[in-house]
Amino acid sequence: MFWKAVVLMGFIFPFLWMISTSLQTFEETMTFPPTWVPSSPQWSNFVEAMSSGPFLTYFKNSVIVTTSIIVLQLAVMIPAAYAFAQYRFFGNKILFGMVLLAFMIPGQVTFIPVYLMLADAGMIKSLWPQILPFMSNAFGIFLLRQYFMQIPQEIIESARLDNASEFKIIWKIMIPMSMPAISTVALFSFVSHWNDYFWPLVMTDSEAVRPLTMGIAMLRETEGISNWHIIMAGNVVLVVPILIVYLFASRQIVKAFVYSGIK
Amino acid sequence: MNKKLSAIVLAATTVVSGVLAGCSGSDPQASSPAPSNQPPAASSPAGKTTVQFWHSLGGKNGEYISAMIKRFNDAHENIEVVGTFQGSYDETVTKLQQSIAAKTAPDITMLERAYVQMFAEAEVLEDLTPFMAKSNTSKDDFPEGLMGHSVFHDKLVSLPLNRSTPIMHINKTMLDEKGLAIPTTWDELKKVSEALVVKENGEVKRYGLSMPYDTWYPIAMISQAGGKFFNDEGTSIGFDKGEGVKAFQYLKDLQSTGALYYPPAQDSGNIVNQMFTSEKIGIMFQSTGVMGTVKSNAKFDYVTAFLPKDAAFATPTGGANIAMLTDSSKKDAAWEFINWVNTDPKGGQQFILDSGYLPFTKKMVESEPIKELWAKDPNRKVAYDQLQYAVDTNKDVAWPQIMQEFFKAIQAIMYDNQKIEPTLDTFKKEADRLLSE
Repeated sequence: MFWKAVVLMGFIFPFLWMISTSLQTFEETMTFPPTWVPSSPQWSNFVEAMSSGPFLTYFKNSVIVTTSIIVLQLAVMIPAAYAFAQYRFFGNKILFGMVLLAFMIPGQVTFIPVYLMLADAGMIKSLWPQILPFMSNAFGIFLLRQYFMQIPQEIIESARLDNASEFKIIWKIMIPMSMPAISTVALFSFVSHWNDYFWPLVMTDSEAVRPLTMGIAMLRETEGISNWHIIMAGNVVLVVPILIVYLFASRQIVKAFVYSGIK
Repeated sequence: MNKKLSAIVLAATTVVSGVLAGCSGSDPQASSPAPSNQPPAASSPAGKTTVQFWHSLGGKNGEYISAMIKRFNDAHENIEVVGTFQGSYDETVTKLQQSIAAKTAPDITMLERAYVQMFAEAEVLEDLTPFMAKSNTSKDDFPEGLMGHSVFHDKLVSLPLNRSTPIMHINKTMLDEKGLAIPTTWDELKKVSEALVVKENGEVKRYGLSMPYDTWYPIAMISQAGGKFFNDEGTSIGFDKGEGVKAFQYLKDLQSTGALYYPPAQDSGNIVNQMFTSEKIGIMFQSTGVMGTVKSNAKFDYVTAFLPKDAAFATPTGGANIAMLTDSSKKDAAWEFINWVNTDPKGGQQFILDSGYLPFTKKMVESEPIKELWAKDPNRKVAYDQLQYAVDTNKDVAWPQIMQEFFKAIQAIMYDNQKIEPTLDTFKKEADRLLSE
């Protein structure tokens, strides 16, 4: 029990430190040894962080980009994974190999050609460059395919005997039964795109289309001493939506386990 | 059969969707989830010329530069300058490279001084000489110490903007307690640093000297020892007469007695600042950029001084310049802004007063507000005065790669206790190879 608590603290500690710092005064962030409990919580840090740029726009952009990505990914991944799991067709192995290959190429390799392509298409001033390259998710296709393959063939066969269309099978059987896997992929995707700094930095030139991560990066001093209390206030704002989504999604995962026909 | 076909289509669509998406060429606005209310910054009202200006200043300095841009826009009816933060100096360089290739580059940009040459060699920076002539200004209006990264192949491709130098920050109270004078030479610095060390049970509780993990300080010391980082021809490393060995040996000697605290690489600047303000360190080499914050946090008599000399006084400079891109279609408006920054009291001069960077024109230096500031805070004047010893030794197209190699050498010597001479030999070989490419 003791060791469990120690390990747990190890994970929670940086998080608590972030919250503590976000409520300190600048002088408190500068003391050594560090202050743990702020003498009087400085809620104004949040106001200062949020008023340093168009944070409402940043926030809206982050929400639009991540939700669009998740919706597009699910629309592409689920039918693709179903096809790979259920059918044997000409070239299926090669195509699946290509999916795995896409999974292994990091974004840093492709960002220049993608940028040039999107600049050519005149999309640089919009949110598209942050969404389109991620409309499919190779890892998700791979994971969902494995999951779909575990679903008993009998259930699908009997649905076909009842004249269910392929679409209906996906919608009524595959999706509800794979909720744990689908929520997991969606959650991963949400966290990674919500937190992404590199891609938006490369793909955007103007404040109007930038997400929250870029706004928070701007709180840091280029030279000189960083205002950690303000930066951490910004980071708390960045993390809160992830926590909310996680709480919601984890409940979904448990529910999906309870209702699925797998156990 | 039908089922098979739909399966192929499904799978194939997925695989190529990424590619198709890129070249579909569909109108992004038609079904765009992009916000419909683009702020006025992105559009250009009728009759107004919009000038894009990329910069790398975040935090307070970011606010100061935004305020400067706003002052310009308020005073100019026909020009709208849009300032956009593009990440750190390095990230801005990456963004510039890709945007120049994609023809989406801004009209003017902030460029960390060591990167100017790279863009100058690529011939993407506009020669500012004719613009200056038209405005009756010239490069003689700028302090010479800041112009080391401005002229390439007889073209004036950048002008100083937010510039800094490393300087010695001193806890004078600590020195006074021990009856020590402010060191001006390496030997004096060594004595003072060693005298400031406080040990309890063999553990160092207070260090004499510290500096961030950066190439800036070793370069300064090599120059002070009489060496040059690159030789004058830019064909090789310029410090093979033992100056490098001397500088690093000096640091290692101090490190071994606890007189020097060499911080971990990650976030070293903030660590050093924090230790200095909480009086764990007596003296630090650090940028001029931290003066304001240190002053408001130090509960002791805080002064600054020139970096100490060995064979000579010498200091590199840092910070960034401003440059215009040749691809810009709004050069006159862009120049209007640059010229305003250089000459208007509400331009760069106010920005310097706000931010604490070095005044970058001779007129600014002679202006009343700067004189008043210096009278009130002599530490700031010290930084400017040190510019007479400014050297710009680390300029070359290959600098970014050579910098990485130099960092490796610093790590090997300062962290891993590798022998200095062979480590510097290896560095020199690698640097020579990069220089000859």
